[in-house]
Amino acid sequence: MKYLVLSVLWLAAMPACLAAETGSDSGMRLTVKPMLCIVDKRKPRCDLAFLVVWETELDDYYCLFNDLGERPLRCWNTASSGRHEDERSVERSFSYWMTDRNPENRLTTIAVEVLRMDTDDRRRKRRTRHVWDIN
Amino acid sequence: MRIRHYLAMALVLAMASGACTASAAEAPGQPAAQESRWRLGAALGYGLRRNPLVQSDDIPIVIDLDIAWFGEHLFFDNGDLGLTLADNSAVTASLVARFNSDRVFFGNTDTRFVSADLAGMPLAEVTEFTVPDRDYALELGVELLMDGAWGQLQVTAFHDVGGTHDGYEIYADYAYGWREQRWYLEPSIGLSYKSDALNNYYWGVRDDEVSIVLPPYTAGAGTNLHTRLMLGYQLSRNWSFSLVAEYEQLNDDAAASPLVEQQDVLGYFAGFGFRFR
Repeated sequence: MKYLVLSVLWLAAMPACLAAETGSDSGMRLTVKPMLCIVDKRKPRCDLAFLVVWETELDDYYCLFNDLGERPLRCWNTASSGRHEDERSVERSFSYWMTDRNPENRLTTIAVEVLRMDTDDRRRKRRTRHVWDIN
Repeated sequence: MRIRHYLAMALVLAMASGACTASAAEAPGQPAAQESRWRLGAALGYGLRRNPLVQSDDIPIVIDLDIAWFGEHLFFDNGDLGLTLADNSAVTASLVARFNSDRVFFGNTDTRFVSADLAGMPLAEVTEFTVPDRDYALELGVELLMDGAWGQLQVTAFHDVGGTHDGYEIYADYAYGWREQRWYLEPSIGLSYKSDALNNYYWGVRDDEVSIVLPPYTAGAGTNLHTRLMLGYQLSRNWSFSLVAEYEQLNDDAAASPLVEQQDVLGYFAGFGFRFR
């Protein structure tokens, strides 16, 4: 019975986390793929093409920014949807966001996470020999 | 085991309530936060570790807890307590106290009424037989960790300090990992030499344990071999999916014990893991 309870809690928690991959403030929906990039000592940078897709209900002037530069990556005139492919080489997490005519007015923001999976502390990679050691 | 279940419950509840908020710990555009001294996680899935003992049950793996703390010199890693003596570009050397893992098999045995001895010879009458119990041994030893582009090497030497078996074990494990974005593959291979005192304590049959079912047996030293393959997929910052298969071959002296039914110990696990970051 306890395993059943744990399983239900586990399965309830996981999709809740995975669902947080879409920014949708102010009626503007923004998605980025991939959302996660993994680096380690052997490959310390992410060289990826990020596909950014946005959609809203009103035709208007919208711009796409990220916090790797001050200028917009692209702007759309009289549009309610758009997509942009952004080739990047990054080594830390950053965000994309959409604005309307006012570049200070962020309609929605979405974060791309660069996750470092290695560690300089060798002890964190030691193998313990207990029966439960499957990490 | 009960404590493990309560800990697992608490950990899962904590994850279910606050897991997603943890992913905002590192703000985009900011330098990576310093690594936490704690490593907390849990995996839930299904797995099994075969029990090589006669009259025994396999060991199910449903929950795998990962509780560790790493200080500058002291560390606690899932039951192991360590003091790091040296840490440089070549090696990390620590003094470690732990409990021997061979005992785990003896916690999953049954009492049965048998009509044949362990060699298969019929008995004159049905007899009750219980696999003898063994104690956990507190061991102290030295652990060397090395890594580089060539992989990771772990070498340990442990000696009983609690007077349980008075033996020692020398262990080595080599692992090499490949990462391709969210995928991670890590095979490893190794061996562990067990002294005659250690081997005989766990796998020998003492005079006071001998019966018409269980003959006397003295085990000498021997070397176990092991190999492991881990495949992981990172679902998000905190969540991952893992497949692990592990194989261990008991040394010949252990395998020849009347207490042992199978020389091979196979283990596997598939499940979702959560790690606080």
